[in-house]
Amino acid sequence: MIDVLFFGPVVERVGSAALKVAYQPGMSLQNLRDQLSAQYPHAFDIVCFSAVDGHHVRDLSQPLADNSEVTFMAKFSGG
Amino acid sequence: MKEAVRIQSDDFSQDEEIAALKASSRRIGGIATFVGCARDFSEGRDVSQISFDAYGSMALSEMNQLRLDAIQKYELLDARIVHRICTVTAGDNIVFIAAGAEHRVAALDACRWMIDELKLRVPIWKKEITPDGEAWVSPHP
Repeated sequence: MIDVLFFGPVVERVGSAALKVAYQPGMSLQNLRDQLSAQYPHAFDIVCFSAVDGHHVRDLSQPLADNSEVTFMAKFSGG
Repeated sequence: MKEAVRIQSDDFSQDEEIAALKASSRRIGGIATFVGCARDFSEGRDVSQISFDAYGSMALSEMNQLRLDAIQKYELLDARIVHRICTVTAGDNIVFIAAGAEHRVAALDACRWMIDELKLRVPIWKKEITPDGEAWVSPHP
């Protein structure tokens, strides 16, 4: 399984802070994003950043491992 | 002594943070600090509270890396970053950044760079609570 986490404004648009998505061998970050953005288009309208296991990932072709923790995030506004 | 990089709900003491920075090296000749605090007005409306959400583990990791990057980039002797994750009201402290260097220019430049980078790199989001409702904040320049 892939653990998907959401924070801040994305949580409100998804309606949940965490989801589990079945892992498929060969699955990329782009595949996961496509799958979830089809389900939650309003949330993904504001998604700007992705992270895998707590690290920024800019190349969405990156393959995912089973049990990865993936986050799709809106622009940050801390400070 | 408290860690140089922290996420916490409680307020911080600027005096304690500066004392900790000074204690790290007797070669420090200049310390620059930035304190971000809550305003009661934003985007043309009153703000009664600000609440924060964060991807805590990643935020802490990014803040630690940010500190190390600043130390290397500006040849700092030490630096500290503290961010509160909680609900605050006008006047409350939100974030503290300090840079200690041999001379003022490096300290001032590094302090400015760290708060600018924090806003770009660290997964923290703020929500303004107003008399008319709540709204997540778009990043400010």
